[in-house]
Amino acid sequence: MTWMRRLWNALRPGKVERDIDRELAFHVAERADELRAGGVSADEAVRDARRQLGNFVVQRERARDVNVSAWLDALLRNIRLAARTLIRTPAFSASVIVTLALGIGANGAVFSAIDAILLRPLPFHDADRLVRLSEIRTASAFTNIVPVRLDDWNRLNTTFEAISGYFTDDVVDTTSDLPERIRRAVVTPGFFDVLRIAPERGRRFTEAEHQFGSAPAILLSERLWRARGADPAAPGTTIRSAGMPVTIVGVMPMFPFADPSVDVWAPMPVNAPYAQSRAGGGWFTGIGRLKPGVTLEQAREDLKSVQARLAMQFPDTDRDVAVRIEPLKETVVGGARRSLWLVFGAVSVLLLIACTNIAALLLSRATQREHEVSVRFALGASRTAVCGQLLAEAGVLGLAGAALGVPVALAAARVIQGLAPDLPRLDEVTIGARSLLYTTAAAAVVAILCGLMPAVRGARGGKSLSRSGGGGAQVVPRHSVQWLLVGVQVALSVALAAGAALLLRTSDALSRVEQGFDASRVLTLHVTGRFGEDGGDYGRVVQRINATLDAIVALPGVRAAATTTMLPGIPGGQQQEFHLVEGRAGMEARLIAESRTVSPSYFDTMGIPLLSGELCRRPGDASGVTEVMVNRSFADRYFPGRSIVGLHLAASTPDRITGIVGDARELGSDRDPVPTVYSCFSAAIPVPWFLVRTDGDPLSAAGAIRVRLKQLEPFRPVYDIAPLERQIADAYSQSHMRTVLLTLFAVTALGLVSAGVYGTLSYAVSLRRREVALHLALGALRRTVVQRLLGTTLRVVGMGCAGGLILALMFTHSLSAMLYGVSPSDPATLAGVIAIVVVVAATAALIPAARAAFVQPMRVLRED
Amino acid sequence: MKVRWTGRRGNVGTQKNDILQGTLVLLILKTLHSNGRLHGYAITSHIHRVSSDLLRVEEGSLYPALHRMEQHGWLRSEWGITEKNREARFYALTARGRRELAQEEASWAKLTEGVGRVLRFV
Repeated sequence: MTWMRRLWNALRPGKVERDIDRELAFHVAERADELRAGGVSADEAVRDARRQLGNFVVQRERARDVNVSAWLDALLRNIRLAARTLIRTPAFSASVIVTLALGIGANGAVFSAIDAILLRPLPFHDADRLVRLSEIRTASAFTNIVPVRLDDWNRLNTTFEAISGYFTDDVVDTTSDLPERIRRAVVTPGFFDVLRIAPERGRRFTEAEHQFGSAPAILLSERLWRARGADPAAPGTTIRSAGMPVTIVGVMPMFPFADPSVDVWAPMPVNAPYAQSRAGGGWFTGIGRLKPGVTLEQAREDLKSVQARLAMQFPDTDRDVAVRIEPLKETVVGGARRSLWLVFGAVSVLLLIACTNIAALLLSRATQREHEVSVRFALGASRTAVCGQLLAEAGVLGLAGAALGVPVALAAARVIQGLAPDLPRLDEVTIGARSLLYTTAAAAVVAILCGLMPAVRGARGGKSLSRSGGGGAQVVPRHSVQWLLVGVQVALSVALAAGAALLLRTSDALSRVEQGFDASRVLTLHVTGRFGEDGGDYGRVVQRINATLDAIVALPGVRAAATTTMLPGIPGGQQQEFHLVEGRAGMEARLIAESRTVSPSYFDTMGIPLLSGELCRRPGDASGVTEVMVNRSFADRYFPGRSIVGLHLAASTPDRITGIVGDARELGSDRDPVPTVYSCFSAAIPVPWFLVRTDGDPLSAAGAIRVRLKQLEPFRPVYDIAPLERQIADAYSQSHMRTVLLTLFAVTALGLVSAGVYGTLSYAVSLRRREVALHLALGALRRTVVQRLLGTTLRVVGMGCAGGLILALMFTHSLSAMLYGVSPSDPATLAGVIAIVVVVAATAALIPAARAAFVQPMRVLRED
Repeated sequence: MKVRWTGRRGNVGTQKNDILQGTLVLLILKTLHSNGRLHGYAITSHIHRVSSDLLRVEEGSLYPALHRMEQHGWLRSEWGITEKNREARFYALTARGRRELAQEEASWAKLTEGVGRVLRFV
């Protein structure tokens, strides 16, 4: 407390001095009064009073606390001295600072990503009260909520301020000459209240606009508004969609929405006749805001009982429905958590290795400077003073490293953004005040880690001048601490490299895995469409999609074209339960299978072979699916030894099984093929993915496809054009990021270890030159000298490896969910890692060892 | 640090004699203990008066001593208005200051007793 006040006083001497001036002025005035009362003239009284008090300035100086000033002075002096000392050895200082800058910068960048993505709440008001709601049904993987049910939940619950929902679709904007696809989010009333987001300009939707048949209204997203010239008078104007004028009522600011590509917001007509059925699949993704103080558990219990009541009221439709409630933030960022913490852990280990490395360097330096330290002690420096000076050096290095680390962090953050574009909230990652604070704290910790041991040891040394006087009878210290630090570096590197190696093995295993389909030279694209186009005549949508397929296939350079509801090789499928119409024994397993809807040409386009039966045919009209194909896993698992071609499978309608195709890893190369039912229908949704197999580079065919489709339907934009391989790579960009970064860190760690081994052995050798020379002069073989020095190094490295192995076994376990085709304790991988570390360390040790062995003994012995 | 004593007829400054380092602190602590809240000038006046003009605090030492004592946590200070309507800094003892006073009084008693015994020794 008093210490704090002293420091405070010392830091703002101005205030203290003013106080003292005022106090002394009072004293002079009182004394002068007294003197005047004793009969002295006024002038003289003041003069006398002042004289008695003594020199004002001296008073001030004496009144101010000199202790703290001295302390601060010492600090400044230490820092100046440290800076001067460090500048005298530029190579040493630069290498330390650069190492630290890289370590701290990379650490800061990953921290800022974790901070922005995982730690900070979503940028909504009271965002921790926002939850995501879904409908869970036993027979289907669809989790969207039926409109009336969403409304029931909203009306009947007691724990939510409000529950709302949205769904997204594409519409065509025909305001200008060129038709433009825009992404629309259709929201229920109260959606913006739940999120507490208000339009930036204009107004929200009115009650009336949520009624069926009212004049259409939309809100523009700020991005679309800016793209269209940011017209301040935009609210009130109209755009044309599907030939109809739609009034723009306002502009919504950009906010992190589940689908960041949303261009416009539209009101859901709650009483629309087509939205009144409780049966069938749902539409909405639910978002709710909990009342203050309500826990997730209470909300779950509440909606569970609400849904139980609905199940009694509507047993046919609501019996098998359950409610799932998750924190909204979790659904946004949950998928990135493991990758980010993994990378953060790895980069922290790297920083720790760097610290250890630098500590060893500083330690060697401190030993080299023993003489200087001895002189200081001899001149009366206290241990604290010497320790402070050595710590100041580490502090200056740490601060310089942190300062340089900031630009490194900025660059590294951009690298992370580039490596994993699918990370959520990535645009919120900035190097802000919190990141800078973190970086500074990291630098302080680093300085203490690096500097403490050298400082304490340095200050302990130098008990007498003679010890480091460099006499002929010098006792060679063993430098056990330096070697211990080398061992720690080796151990940490082994653990880091083991993690990286396992991830590399995983990506290698994945690249070798038999996919069951050929993703190369396939182009993907979307053609705009939506439910209800062409006046609700779905048959015309089917015709349109088939015509599009036919037009694409007819192009030169195109081998095949197909549609699918979901891209192959990308995680996220839909399980569904089927029944065999012809009947099965009741005891057999339920027919749960992955359900995908594709055009008959899909198998040819993706190179999935037909194993038996024949290919399904394209249904000509809107009647939907009539024929299905199953994969080999499905046939083998559920119908071993039974021919099922020609039988009928039913999810909703009975469809004929026409053939069996080969297994494909539809759900991603890291997932084994699962039993799959392919429903043959090219137009299951109005906007399916088009897959086009080309002769050459798929992107080179894009132009021709665009031109042809424009001829076919000039007002239908084509978008999302990308090679399938890139779509798959994007879906796996997080695992790619993990692998790339961990490998990078491991390689850096190995570099640091080799620098550490080299530095420590060089130093040890430099101190033992005379000893080695003496050995050689007495007839020792140079080979023996090299062997002994290498032996010393490898003993330490070996112990480090043993420690690293234990660390690795502890830490790689947390990786197991990210691995494929390799176990977390894979002996070959771990052995390989250890072999690499040993070879690297031995190589680094060879140079100083050889240099020591090839000295001229007599010259060294005559040196002094 | 320094308390001057003045001879019976002597004027301040003519017979200065630095005596008894450390007694200033004791005197200040005791003064504040018996008077409560005082400003610097009142402290000097009190010591002067109570010692029947024998002791006079050298003003140049008073304020540094007060500040040091405040930093030790023996005193606390605040700005106030005197009866003459002047702004002055008032000092008061803290709990720590009272403990310090007890210690200093004890050691002063020991010192005077020791000195007395030496002087009495024939």
